Parts: sequence; C-alpha cells; structure tokens
Amino acid sequence: MFKILSRTFTQHMKEPVRVVVTGGSGQIAYSLLFRIASGSLLGEHQPVILQIYDLPHMQSALKGVVMEISDGAFPLVHEIIASDTPSTVYADADYAFLVGAKPRGPGMERGDLLKQNGEIFVKVGQDLDKFAKKTVKVLAVGNPVNTNALIAMSNAPSIPKENFTAMTRLDHNRALCQLATYLNTEVHNIEKLVIWGNHSPTMFPDLTYTTLHNQKIKTKIDHIWYEKEFIPTVQQRGTAIIAARKASSAASAASAAVDHVRDWALGSNGQWVSMAVPSDLYNGEYGIPIGLIFSYPIVCANGSYQLVKDLKIDEFQHNKLRITVNELLKEKEAVVDLIRK
Amino acid sequence: MSAVKVGVTGAAGQIGYSILPMICSGQMLGADTKIDLALLDIPQCEDALRGVAMEINDSAFPLLNSLKYGSDPREILRDLDIIIFLGGFPRKAGMERKELLQKNMNIFKEQGTALNEVGKPTTLCLVVANPANTNCLVLAHHAPNIPRKNFTAMTRLDHNRASFQIANRVGALTIDVKNVAIWGNHSSTQYPDVNHGTVRGGAIRPAVNDDEWLNGEFISCVQKRGAAIIAARKLSSAMSAAKAAVDHVRDWYLGTKDGEWVSMAVLSDGSYGIDTGLCYSFPCTCSNREWHIVQGLDINEFSRDKMNLTKQELTEERDEAFSA
Repeated sequence: MFKILSRTFTQHMKEPVRVVVTGGSGQIAYSLLFRIASGSLLGEHQPVILQIYDLPHMQSALKGVVMEISDGAFPLVHEIIASDTPSTVYADADYAFLVGAKPRGPGMERGDLLKQNGEIFVKVGQDLDKFAKKTVKVLAVGNPVNTNALIAMSNAPSIPKENFTAMTRLDHNRALCQLATYLNTEVHNIEKLVIWGNHSPTMFPDLTYTTLHNQKIKTKIDHIWYEKEFIPTVQQRGTAIIAARKASSAASAASAAVDHVRDWALGSNGQWVSMAVPSDLYNGEYGIPIGLIFSYPIVCANGSYQLVKDLKIDEFQHNKLRITVNELLKEKEAVVDLIRK
Repeated sequence: MSAVKVGVTGAAGQIGYSILPMICSGQMLGADTKIDLALLDIPQCEDALRGVAMEINDSAFPLLNSLKYGSDPREILRDLDIIIFLGGFPRKAGMERKELLQKNMNIFKEQGTALNEVGKPTTLCLVVANPANTNCLVLAHHAPNIPRKNFTAMTRLDHNRASFQIANRVGALTIDVKNVAIWGNHSSTQYPDVNHGTVRGGAIRPAVNDDEWLNGEFISCVQKRGAAIIAARKLSSAMSAAKAAVDHVRDWYLGTKDGEWVSMAVLSDGSYGIDTGLCYSFPCTCSNREWHIVQGLDINEFSRDKMNLTKQELTEERDEAFSA
C-alpha cells in the first residue's frame, strides 16, 4: 500500500469526498480517474480523495497511474490512496465506481463469467458493508453489470438498496448520438429517451416518449429504421468500436460513468436519464418483477433519484421488456447461491 | 459566443485518446465555451481515428458543437483557432537520433506548409510530439504567414512534475507550489529551476531545506519521470501529458493568474542570453492570448551552466534538422 498525502492549505474549499475506483490499473479507470480529478464529477469546488483498488499483482501498474495523477497537478485532488487492502480502499467511501471485473476469456461461457464475477462482487458488497459510509453511492461498471450490482447489494445489508446502481448510461448516450444523427440535430435537443433492462444485447432503447424540441418524434420516425438499424446499432456499438480501434470503448464508458454519478449527486435538471436500479423500490411497476437491477427512466434531484411513473406501455414495448426481464432472471438463477437472502 | 475551433493532430494515438474528453468537457477553454473539433491522423490510422470520433460522439458532450476528422492537413487544419500537434514519428528501438529528427522534420515540414496555406494569422500552435522544441522550429519555419509568437512547444508536463516533486517533499498540495521554471529542451537536459518559486507562499529552497537534493536528485527525478512511468505502467504517460497540454493551452488562451507564471517553450527573443532562432522553454506569463517571458530573474552560476547545457543540445538539434 502506498499513499500520496497532501494537506489542505486553502480553507475556502469544501471538505473532500472519498471516491473509490476499483480496477484502477485498467483502461476505463485510466480515463475515469482523470475525469474525476478534473472536477467533471462534482464540480470545481469539490475536492476529492481518490481511493483506488487493484489486485496485488497490479500494484506496480497502479503506482504508475498514481504517479501520473500526481503529475497532473489537479487542484481538486487532495489525497490519493492506492491499495489492494479493502479496509483501506473502501474506508468511509462516499462514492464507489466498481470498474474491476473479470473479463470474458476465450472459451468462457456466460455462466462462468457470471459466477466468477459473482464471487468478486460478493466480496465487494461485504467490504462496502463493513467499511464504506452508509450513504455511499455505488455504480457498477464492470460486466455483467446488472447482476454484479445485485450481488453486491445483497451482500451489503446495512446499506440502503437504492444506493446500488448499474450503468446503462453508455447505451443511453450512444442511443442519443444515433438518434441525433438520424434527425440531423444536436443531442441536447432530444429528451425522454429510455434504456430499459439489462446492459446486454437484450437492452431495449425506447423512443416511445422521446421528443425533439419538445415535440414527440415517434410518429415521425421510420419504424423500419428504428427496429432494423437504430436498435441493433446501439446494441452492437461496443463491438463496432472494438473493430475500429482494436481496443474497447474506455473513454466513452468513463464519460458515461461520470454522467451517471454526477446526475445522481447533483440532479438531472428535470431530464430523464437511464439508470439500472433495484426493482425492489418499485413494487412491480411496468411489470418488472422485484429482485432485479433493471434500467428505467429516472429523474435525479436532491441527491437521490425517482422513477418516471405512469407511462403507458404498448404491446411492442411489453414484448421487448419481457425479453430483457427473462434474461436478467436467468442470470440471477445462475448465481442464486451468491445472493444473500 | 461562437465556438472555438480546435485541431488535434495524431488524434488516433494515446495522448489523443486522453486529451479529447478533456477538451470536450470544458477543461481547456472553460465550461461555457463550445468547441468545433478537427482531428487529423495519417491514412494508416483511419480506422482508429474513426473509432475515436465514434467514442467522442457517444459521449454526448454538451460543449461539442461539431466534429470532423481526416488525413488531409489542408482540409482539417483550415481556419483553426488552436492546434495541438500530437502527431510525430515515434522513436523505434535502435533508431539513431539523426533519423528520428529527419523523419519528424518531414512531418512538420508538410504540416507547416499546409498550415501556411490554410491557417489563420491568429492560429495558436502547441507542439507536443517529440522532439517537441525542434519540431516546433520546423513547423514555424514552414509557416511564415503566421506570427512567430504563435508557435510553442510543451514543457508544461515537466513543470507540473517538478511542482509535484516539491509538494510531495514538503507535504503540500501541488497547487500550493508556484513559479517553478523549466528552462530549455523538453528532454533529459531540461533544467527545473526552483530558485524563484514558492510553496505555501514561502520560498522553496528554505522550505525544502536540502540543497543537495534540490540540485541533484530532484532535477534528475523530473528529467527521468517519463521513463519511471513507463517502467511502472509499461505504457507511456499519456494522461498526464494530455493534462499538461490542456493546462498549457488554457493558460495561454485564458491568461495566467496574477503573480503566477508557467513554463512554455517559445521562439526565443534573446532573453537570458538564449539565441533567437531556438525554441527554448522559459518562465512565461500570459494575457490577451500572448505569452511574455518573465524578465529580470537572477540566474546564478549553477543555473547558468544548466541553461547553457540545454541550449547547446537545442542548437545541435536545430543544426541537424536544418542541415539536410
């Protein structure tokens, strides 16, 4: 374990918050840590203490990352802690980006991926339960993201369920970008786009309520484009980027993670965002069974989030929702012994 | 307010990948300034460049007004306000320095010539690709339509690294360290000078209270930091380099704070006995999108020797680059 310690000299800044990032020596963390350090997450008056986790054999690479953050001369970074010891890394955490996960290896079945990550996230949940603040806001980024978040949540019984979320904001941003191109407009003119369900190929990007300059677009969109081009493009965007870059989409994933937690902490200004959150909070709303982490349309305000309620769901949407629900139920079944009752 | 047009060459590379989200999220020009982004890379990197552009679009940055990319400098570098030159020829194992200089000179000759045709007289240029100082000279040489003062090279990474080393030594925050100065070449002959700097408002030397360290290990640590990071990460310091480039442009474009200076490699005006015709790093203040070398700093014998050493290396590089 090593620490870069800095004592605050200026008095006018707020008390620093503690931000955990796991998988700290990896690609997404590399992009994410520098965005957080710059103030993209909580604004330019909020200092941060970075608490970065990686496995013992990655500590040397992690040291290099810490050196670079230090060399970044960020005014907001008051301390950097890098460690493979959970009690150090998760101590008093206010925010936790769970980026570290086991990637899919060659020949690995999805069931194996679920189980191996499940075991990691049991421990993560237990460590958060023991060491983090009870108010910690948790975002699971490492895949399979919904089920990993569910496992962590169930193993952290003293932390409120609503503090555990999973990331579908990347799919949301990708969908916005595709739609903006199709409509020949800019992303900020588009509102009320929804990503439902699992962060996986069954995710459902839904334009039923979407507006352009506050006008609904559903009837103005070619349904063939919507089903045959838009949905597959959003679903397969990750693959397309790997094909082009020969590396996965770390920067845009990091950007989405920042967006997700920033909006959660600071509010989404009345805008709908997509977040995968515990369906336990919503008691079967939209026909989604309890016991899942499921992406919904959400509005954030005052440090918490609310479901957008009373939306009408038609048959087309219902079928799409059912597919992604079923996949999540199957995933849960594969790791049922890791979910603490 | 109209958008600022920012170009990045070598945009498909490691530093490009790091710098583009920083630029697009407002770290360089502020939270209220929209950006028209133009990305250049070589045809061989076409797919990777397209992939980066896809990711920037997928990030849905509110400040990104438009994005274009391609491999034709005359198209991409047209009418830009700011250009960050990341693209250069990397050093390969066993490559002689002369060959490295020659290959980079060709790149910067081509881009300088293009810039001369399509650039604005107000285009601000930052060269990051190594050998940065000499590449900057070559670029400027081939773009005579653009004022000499618009061409700079980056020593801000060294400056930030030096500030951190001092902060770390005394247990302060890096932002509490002000006015270190990097003189000379962005290379192992650079001279990190703390004689005029402060930490927490007090002079650095007495605060550190270890002249042997300041004159020895501190200097070599800053000089070799890049290598130390490669040793640890097995990759070079892309993010911190990107951050330094953003800092350099931000302070140049938006101005430095009162009483504070930064380090920039600029075309010398003869200050401190450094010949005009060299691109040399000096302590600078910035206002109205112009840099001004800080004048009147006392240079002791130790410093003078160090400054001469790096001047000599730059003179040799320049002569090698322009002799072909």
